[in-house]
Amino acid sequence: MSEQTLAYIDNNSVIHRVDALSKLLWVLVVVITTFQFHDSISRGLMLVALLFVAIFVARVPLRAIWKVSPLIFGVAFLLGVFHYFVTKGYTPLFTIGSFTVMRESMEDGAAYFFRLSIMVMASFLLIWTTDIRELMVGLVRLGMPYRFAFVIFMALRFLPVIQKEVDAVRSAHAIRGRAARSQLRHRFRLWQRYLFTVIVNGLRKAESTAIAIESRGFGAYPDRTYVKDFHWTVSGILLVIFFVLFGAALLVWERLL
Amino acid sequence: MNPSSSPDVLAAFEHVTFTHFDRAAPTLVDVNLSIRRGSFTLLVGPSGSGKSTLCMLLNGIIPHLLGGELSGKVVVDGHDVAGTQVKDLARSVGLLFQDPEWMFATLQVEDEVAFGPENLRQPPEEIARQVTAALDYVGMASLRKNLVWALSGGQIQKLGLAAVLAMQPPLIVLDEPTANLDPATTHAVHELILRLRSEGKTVVLVTKDLDEFMAEADHLILLNEGRVLAQGSPRQIIEQHGLKMLDLGVWLPEPTEIGLQLVHQGKLPVRSVPLTVVEAVEAFGHFRFKDGSENSVPMTGGELLVKAEALEFSYNSRVKALRGVSFEIHQGEIVAIVGQNGAGKSTLSKLLVGLIKPSGGELTLFGKHAHAWKVQALANEVALVFQNPEHQFLCDTVAEELAYSLLAQGIDDSEEVKRRVDEMLARLDIADTAASHPFALSAGAKRRLGVATMLVGGRARLLIVDEPTYGQDRRLTERLMKLINNLRREGITVLMITHDMRLVDAHVERAIVMTDGEKIFDGTPGALFQAPEIVEKASLRPTSLRRLVDALRARGVTVPDGLNTVEAFIEAMA
Repeated sequence: MSEQTLAYIDNNSVIHRVDALSKLLWVLVVVITTFQFHDSISRGLMLVALLFVAIFVARVPLRAIWKVSPLIFGVAFLLGVFHYFVTKGYTPLFTIGSFTVMRESMEDGAAYFFRLSIMVMASFLLIWTTDIRELMVGLVRLGMPYRFAFVIFMALRFLPVIQKEVDAVRSAHAIRGRAARSQLRHRFRLWQRYLFTVIVNGLRKAESTAIAIESRGFGAYPDRTYVKDFHWTVSGILLVIFFVLFGAALLVWERLL
Repeated sequence: MNPSSSPDVLAAFEHVTFTHFDRAAPTLVDVNLSIRRGSFTLLVGPSGSGKSTLCMLLNGIIPHLLGGELSGKVVVDGHDVAGTQVKDLARSVGLLFQDPEWMFATLQVEDEVAFGPENLRQPPEEIARQVTAALDYVGMASLRKNLVWALSGGQIQKLGLAAVLAMQPPLIVLDEPTANLDPATTHAVHELILRLRSEGKTVVLVTKDLDEFMAEADHLILLNEGRVLAQGSPRQIIEQHGLKMLDLGVWLPEPTEIGLQLVHQGKLPVRSVPLTVVEAVEAFGHFRFKDGSENSVPMTGGELLVKAEALEFSYNSRVKALRGVSFEIHQGEIVAIVGQNGAGKSTLSKLLVGLIKPSGGELTLFGKHAHAWKVQALANEVALVFQNPEHQFLCDTVAEELAYSLLAQGIDDSEEVKRRVDEMLARLDIADTAASHPFALSAGAKRRLGVATMLVGGRARLLIVDEPTYGQDRRLTERLMKLINNLRREGITVLMITHDMRLVDAHVERAIVMTDGEKIFDGTPGALFQAPEIVEKASLRPTSLRRLVDALRARGVTVPDGLNTVEAFIEAMA
């Protein structure tokens, strides 16, 4: 079985033991502060802080981060490049051959790169370290109807399922050989088919899951009981406070600069 | 009297006809049956006879979640199913699915068991007690903190059963709970089911492994094409309808099949048809057997196709999937790879088609080092039929699917392509579906199309089939094996990965046994079943035919070696 990179990583680190709602709040704090920054140095420091938490505190294996890095950094990089060209700059920064890099374009590109990669990185940290059930119970305790809270769970549950399915379909296709003359047409055809097969099977599986869950009494009553209830943790509150202070410090430093 | 009104009856069908909304013909036709409290019912029939539909009617999935046209009345535990919602029927019926991984709603084993009772608003202390009791029952108490995604196939089934038990439903319905398990794990799950029965739970079971249940069940319902052909005690049904069941392609225990064939030949009174190995020893003990010799001599000496030396593979730094495996495969052989779930069988097949590369040792494929092969080029030499054939399909019609394979081999003359496609369609008995979408075929036809896409054009020299009998009845299996045997006669080498010991014994000349990433046996099935320590270590089980031969010998009856099929056994009877 190939490794799951979009699912809970069973590590029992300090971050794993932080309650789910504090972690959710922490992700929100990180994302909101990042959008307040004016300078990419602050954004960069925030990304470094996140990576530090992921690698040294949550002890997420480097391999897991490496495997999703195209999702975290690749997409953000493309967005950054796009914004570099969209933003018209007027202050030359440096010149490579006939190509002059403009300060404003560079800043804007970097801003988008950091914003997206921080958002995605923080979300991955949440997925890797949080038992979704706990998050669901926490949200219900905050007053969210349980069926609604469960939708979040379902969405996250299907990430690893779809990943598994894509891997299986890709292997199966690879050994069919190539019928089209051009490599490009072949690639296109395969992509079309991945989508079709993954969607058809994904929907079937989603249906089976929905059916199975309902036949176990899900939704029978407007509320339900919980064997393990939700509890706030001190470490969670500390994590949130630390990042609020860290973000605030960076903001103040930006203003003073 | 109206059967559903009797207090003794837990579930009843009265004139039930059901048509799935996307089908023209009904899946169930005028079904009448009743399930008594405390009874153990077997639901038996060929593929597509309506068994799963019947199970889903018992807990209301049909018609509430999977729609269609329902007439007649289904009553379960006093509720009219058509007028009761699925979530309300959850108190009355627990349904264990074929693949319970899909019913899991949480991350941790203990949370999973608690999920159902929590939905029913039971008090937390009460649930905690039930969770412990249910996990103890299935023998998973020590795994309660484990992640559900990290469980083995057998553990997944046991957890599914614990989740059903924790809700304490009066009726437990099990739809092929062991379809994808190794023989020893299947046996362990069977023992759990028999324990439920001995404790007076009402159980309805769909399975093709009837060997351990025929003598235990109170009631057997035989379905065909949506109709109840017969119902009664297993013995009664076998006596009256046994030959018909064989004809329909239902899997029966081998001793029973032998008994029925003998009845057919007038050599055994119908009352003596055995349901178990023990009964078979009584029934066949007085027969004399002709002296025979081992008929299957493994073919060797063909061209060397695959050579593995101290082969290693690991998916990550912690787990080694293969640890120093060595073997050779020669042209013309038919080989099975067997062993428990997770023993390294699938890893081996992926290495052979080049999807992964060895992390240690030597692997030579068709005279070239494995690292030197590209997957697409290797596809011209070796073909792999996946367990889920849908994963391999690339086109919108069956005919295009076959044409694609031809194009991939550089056969692009349209006349030639058409001729070969038509030829293959006819050979597979799926000519009438040439214009259908591959996803719309029946399970058996999908499997055959999977084999065909791999072999049309005659490129591959080695065919690997993953679980050929998975989800197929006897008739479909025989058809697939006939296709595979024909291919073999044309010189194609066949490698099967399977849990099906009957298949191994009947069709294979050589079995490679894997356990924990190591090869622990390589030889004929006959020799394998005479090595009990290997059989046990690899979670295998001798077929009931092998057990019958051993039991007869223990009684002093002289039985020749090499009786690997029902036919061979009957043939040897003087």
